[in-house]
This record gives sequence, C-alpha cells and structure tokens, in this order.
Amino acid sequence: MTLLSDLRQALGNENVLEEPLELYIYSKDASLMRGEATFVVFPQSAEQVATVVQIAASHNVPIVARGAGTGLTAGASPTEGGIVMVTTALNSLEIDSDNRTAWVGAGVINLDLSTAAAPFGLHFAPDPSSQSACTIGGNVANNSGGAHTLAEGSTTSHVLGLEVVLADGEIVVLGGQAPDSPGLDVKGLIVGSEGTLGIVTRALVRLLPIEPEVRTLLLDFPTVEEAVATVTEIIAAGMIPAALELMDQRMTTAVEKWLHAGLPIDAAAVLLAEVVGERESVESEASQIGEIGRANGARDVQVATTEEHRALLWKGRKSAFGAMAQLAPDYYLHDAVVPRTKLVETMRAIYEIADRYELTLLNVFHAGDGNVHPLIAFDASEPGINERVHKAGDEIVSACLRVGGALSGEHGIGLEKRDLMRMAFTEIDLDAQARLKEVFDPTGLFNPKKVLPDGSRCFDFGGVRREVPEGAWV
Amino acid sequence: MGLTQHPPHITRLVAEIEAAPDAELTVAPKSFHDAASVLHHATEKGLKVQVWGGGTRSGYGSPPMPDIVMSMTRLGEIEAWEPGDLTLVVGAGARIADIESKLGVESQTAVLPEVPGASTVGGAIAAGASALRRGRLYGTRERILETTVVTGDGRIVRSGGRVVKNVTGYDMQKLNVGAFGSLGVIVSVCMKLWPVPPAGATVTVDSPEQASAIARPLAVLEENESTRVFLWGTSEDVSALSARLDGDSVDGLDWPADPSGPYRWSIRVPPALTSRAIGHLPDGWRYLAIHGVGDIRAASDDGEGASDLRAWAESVAGHLVVVEAPTDALQGFDPWGAPPPGLDLQRGLIAEFDPARIINPGRLPGGI
Repeated sequence: MTLLSDLRQALGNENVLEEPLELYIYSKDASLMRGEATFVVFPQSAEQVATVVQIAASHNVPIVARGAGTGLTAGASPTEGGIVMVTTALNSLEIDSDNRTAWVGAGVINLDLSTAAAPFGLHFAPDPSSQSACTIGGNVANNSGGAHTLAEGSTTSHVLGLEVVLADGEIVVLGGQAPDSPGLDVKGLIVGSEGTLGIVTRALVRLLPIEPEVRTLLLDFPTVEEAVATVTEIIAAGMIPAALELMDQRMTTAVEKWLHAGLPIDAAAVLLAEVVGERESVESEASQIGEIGRANGARDVQVATTEEHRALLWKGRKSAFGAMAQLAPDYYLHDAVVPRTKLVETMRAIYEIADRYELTLLNVFHAGDGNVHPLIAFDASEPGINERVHKAGDEIVSACLRVGGALSGEHGIGLEKRDLMRMAFTEIDLDAQARLKEVFDPTGLFNPKKVLPDGSRCFDFGGVRREVPEGAWV
Repeated sequence: MGLTQHPPHITRLVAEIEAAPDAELTVAPKSFHDAASVLHHATEKGLKVQVWGGGTRSGYGSPPMPDIVMSMTRLGEIEAWEPGDLTLVVGAGARIADIESKLGVESQTAVLPEVPGASTVGGAIAAGASALRRGRLYGTRERILETTVVTGDGRIVRSGGRVVKNVTGYDMQKLNVGAFGSLGVIVSVCMKLWPVPPAGATVTVDSPEQASAIARPLAVLEENESTRVFLWGTSEDVSALSARLDGDSVDGLDWPADPSGPYRWSIRVPPALTSRAIGHLPDGWRYLAIHGVGDIRAASDDGEGASDLRAWAESVAGHLVVVEAPTDALQGFDPWGAPPPGLDLQRGLIAEFDPARIINPGRLPGGI
C-alpha cells in the first residue's frame, strides 16, 4: 500500500489533502521558513492520530503536528517533508468547574476555552497575542506565554495532564487532577517540546477564577529608560501586577495609525500595566503604580474607566504585530529574555545594532518578565536585506545572552533558533537533551531537525571522563 | 569493599553527618566535580548511593541500605541573588530556613515549605515538596528556573536558565522536581522568587466554604481542630479581607507544621474532593489539608485503615503515598500505590542519566 492509500483508508478521503495548492498552504507556519508537506491530514480522534503515527513509522515518513500555524519559529513547518498533522478537529472541551480544570482537545482555540469557562467565573491564564487563532495543542507544544503570564506563569504551570500519542502509537494519559502524580513528571517534559517527543491530543488544564476587579493603566514616558526603570521599581516595591507591557514610540505610532486606540504617539515609550484582585488591593496597587511612574518621569497616567476603554488599550497591544503590514511586507520578530535589571542596557544595545545595520526596528514587549520582542520590519525583495536582518538578529540574541538571558521566552526554538542553542548550552547539556529525544522518538520521525542542532547527540562516554577531575581514580 | 578500597580523591570527602543512615562511606562533596567523582566511582563499582539533605524526607519510597551516603550540606552557598530580578541561584545543600530568612530581609520568598525543619532546598525539590501557599503561588515545580545536576555516570548537566520566563530547550529542570535524583543529583538551582507584602493575617473560620468570600486567598488550611484562612497584602487589604470572613483574626501568618507521628502519609486527590478525603481518614489520624489543592498531609500511630483509604483515593484518580513508616512495618504495602502510566518511558529516561541505577535505586514508583 502507498502512504496515500494508507492515510485515506485510515482517515477517509476527505481528511487527507494532496493537491499542490493545499500542500503549499500547509507548508509553513507564521515564520519565514517554508517546508514541503508530503500530505496534510486531519485526524478526528486520538485513535486516528495513533493510526497515522503507525502509518508514518511504517513508511518512515516524518510527522509535523500543527495547530493553527501561528508559530513564529518554523516549529510547524515541514522542513524535512512528511505528513503535516493538523489537530483542529480534536476540539472536545469538558469543563469541571468544581475542580477548576478542563480537558481540552488539542485543536481548541485558546480564546474559545476562556470564553467557554467564563460562565463558571473561570479563565485560562496563558494569553498569547494570537489567542483568537492559536490552539491549545500549539500552546502546549511551545509552552506559550502571553501578557498575563507575569503573575501566573506560562502554559506549563497550567497543564495538569496530557493525553499523548507516543512514537509506537500508544495513547497514554499522564498526570491528572490530583496534585503531584508519583513518578517522573513526563507530561511536564512534553510541554514545550514542540512536537518532537509525541503528539498531544488533549490537555487537562488548570482554570483560574476571574478576579473580581481589574484596573488597567497606561503610563507615557519621555524616554524608554524611564519606562523600564518604572517596571523595575514596581517589582521592587513588592508588586507583581497581572501584566506590565511596554511599547516604544515607533510601535505606538504604527499601531495608532492603524487602530486609533488612543495611544500617545509623542511619548518615547508607553507602559501598559494591569492589576487584578480584590477591590481593596487593586485600588491601592493602581495608585502606587501611578505614583512610581510619576516619580520616574511619567508625563501622564491614564486609568481605563470602562471595560471598552480597557479592551481598546489591550487591542492596541495585542494588535501590534498586525500593524506591521503598513510599514513593510515582512517582519522578523525576536523573543529573547533578559534579567529585568538588565533591560535598560539591553534596549540600548538593541537600538544600536539596528541602527548599525540600517534596519527599522520596533519594540513591544513583556517588560515585567524581561521578555523582549524586538521586531525588524523589512521588505524581503530588497537585495541583501535578508542577510542583514539575520545578522542583526544574531547580534541581538548574543547581546541578550551576554547579560545572562535566554534565547526564547515563549515562541520556542523550532528551526529558527536551533543553531543558536550552542550559545546557551554546553555540549554535555545538549547531549542530555538529545538523549531525552531519543528515548521518546528513537527513529526521529516527530518534527525532525527542530529544537536541537545537528550533532547534539555526539557525546560518547569517552568524552564524559573529561568531567572527572584530574587524578581521579577511574 | 573496605574503606581503603576507595580511591583517595573519594576518601578525602569523608564526613560525619548527623542522623544520616549507616553506610560504608559517608561523603560530603565540596564542589560539583567532587560530586561527579563520587557518582562516577559508584557507577564503576556498582555502589548504591543515598543522597542526603536534611533527612526530613528520607522515608519516601523505602530507601534501600546504601553503600555510600552523599551529603549535600557542603554545597549550600548562595551563588547569585538579584532582588530586582526576583531570582536566586543557590547550592542544593542550603537549608530552606536559612535561605528564607536571608530572602526575608528583602521581603522576598522562594515559596518553599514554610515549616522546613532541617530540610534543604535540593531535598525539597528532589522530593517534590511544595509550600502550603501552593494554591495561590503554585508548587515548587513551577518555581524552578534552572537546575544543575550530576548524573550517575558523572556528567554535569545544566538545563533551563536564570530568567523568569524561558522556553529554550526541553524543560529538564522541571523533570528533576520529584525525581529523587534519578536523572542526576541536584547540585544547584535557580528559583523564581516572590515578593512578600507587608501584612498578613490568619483567620479562624468554621468551615472551608467561608473562604469563598475571597477570590484567591493565600491558603485555606484545615486541621483536626480548626480551619484557617491565610491572607496577605497591604495592611489595609488584609484588614478589609479579614473583615469579610466571619472569624477570629490574628496578625501574621502562623503556619502549621505537617502532622508528626511514626507513620506519615501524603494523600493527593482532585481539589474538590479535599473534604471527602478528610472524611475517609481512619479514626485517630492527624491531618493538615490544603483546600483548593487536594494536598493532605497526615500522620498516624499505626498503618491500620491505610489500604481502604488508598483504595478510595485511587478510585477517584488520587494517591496515598507513604512519607515515613517504621522499617518493615508496611510489608506488602507499596509506598507509592498503583504504578503510574508510562513506566517504560520513565525507565528509559532514567537509564540515560543513571545507567547503573545507583542514585536512590528502587525509591521511585514501580520500584525503579
């Protein structure tokens, strides 16, 4: 039997795509890197996912899982060919309001989960900017963050259990509603593994109560430094607001032209701060944040007075990437993290790099947790520009790592950053990660060439001995 | 094998460690490389190693008689602490009480167990122990940003990073939480800290349901004789919130210790079943339950009724775990209960990091 006939028999003709145009559509995610899908399949159940995994193994063809394709690092691009497995039909949703959890199909859209939980007074904390399109399966694969993960943590802190299809086609359920499942936390390892260890079909997620009160503030500053200093001081004052988001002037100008959200475009930087909780505490925290801002040079402190106003401010923030289309046809977005206290020097370094390469660079980022999103807007048809964009990008990432930062805060490594992994980890560290991958996926068919650079698993025992001190009796 | 059979670079690490179990060799490494030498030596010779922190969780998973006890107490320095970044890098052997009191000077906490006794940072992490505040501030797993471990075959492996948000590579640092060293002995960790607000109050209420007047209290703890709601914030917040609860309020956070006794247990159930689990405890058991989490710590004078309790807990997808029991007292009663799914994967993972299976062998569920 051919691969195509096996897939059609297992899933039905309607759930297997093979036309060139259809394959082209599914051959990339929201990054710049395109692969080539052999076939695209839409399994309707975990059992069908398991069958496809077995079929792929028997034909020795890779599988790339894909949710909504909003990923930014080519994590869902079939760059080694193979079957693109779209999980959108896995859309079951069962909310258990007593336990504040939900079993959610991998294909359920992030925002739909919170919308469904709202009547119970609950919500799902991770809220990537793409939340109206991205899926829970994608969130689990990338350990997605969002503006509101400053106080509540990324996706991994909200995944209590997983239903996963393993490389041999076995369907396992890991974790559960009870805390601290005995044994190794294998489901925690699968979160953030970008489809390289198994295919997640359902997730048991934690839901948080919707806080009784919320205050959203917009502070505008004459310099980026003053805005950043405000962030540091808010945290130093013992507050962890629900969100602390920063946009520079280039970004507010672009957003304002497009959306008219009322952002002050003459400010060098605006800081969006949100506090949630009981009425008593949000009022005192909001006024404290206003005071800290003013003491650090804020010209104005707006407090959203209505839900509409609040929604508009957030729309301005979450639509930032959409606003790029009017500046240039392409953009390249970074996702590095630096220690919060290094934000000012990092921002200076980033602007300097962009100026040196004569690139248009804008900043919109999660200032509270030091997760910067420098965004380079460009036109890929301009001769030589791709090389400049990539060189500047590597320098930006290096600058972040130099001050003790990390390659990625929430977008993942994918294909885009895997070769930079050697900047963050030693040979031994990477070898350890490659061993994990091998345990789950000995034949390497799950999303090959993602996360880890080629040659990570190169550390034989002869090399290990180098770690033993000289003179050791071995 | 006598002491003289061990090489000098191992015997120079010999130390006397109070309350540690008897073993042929008791060592206290002073560096990651020392720890690597000890484990590498143990792997070569097939010697069982018990890793020793403060000894407060040494009863988990019926530890076998070790050949080597490796104490982590000499690896307990603070390597980096930047209050503005809310991160702390510390050696695994640091005592929780010492670390929390240092952090307290800057009004910060690592959200580790509140009544730690002698327990160490690394020990609490390896055993997967969490604070009573976990319902509001998350468990220990969510607070670990980076780990450095020494594997059974002597590799020094770092994963994660020293920033509060990070998706660079596989989350091995979280996999080490609750792994009892099976993926390598934790030698250093970076933790995400949390600010401690200026005021706290402890309010005694008649029932845990009363706490629903507050959206997210710091903790709701039930013991045999009382139920208390723990609040923190500014002094105005705390007094306003405690006024909403119909109960006696005292200033400060008066955290209870886990119940003590010759037998200690951990009962883990879906959060909404916490009260039902308390109802299923055998007569005479003392308990401390975290409402909203499903984490119940209990102690008893004997093991009677444990089988029935476990049968009920497992019927609701929960667990009854033995934390401590007199030697040989619970013959035939598995310390962890029904083995978890995915045991083959767990074995496969451990084989990559502890190939000779020398670090706490047999202490994990399924006898791994």
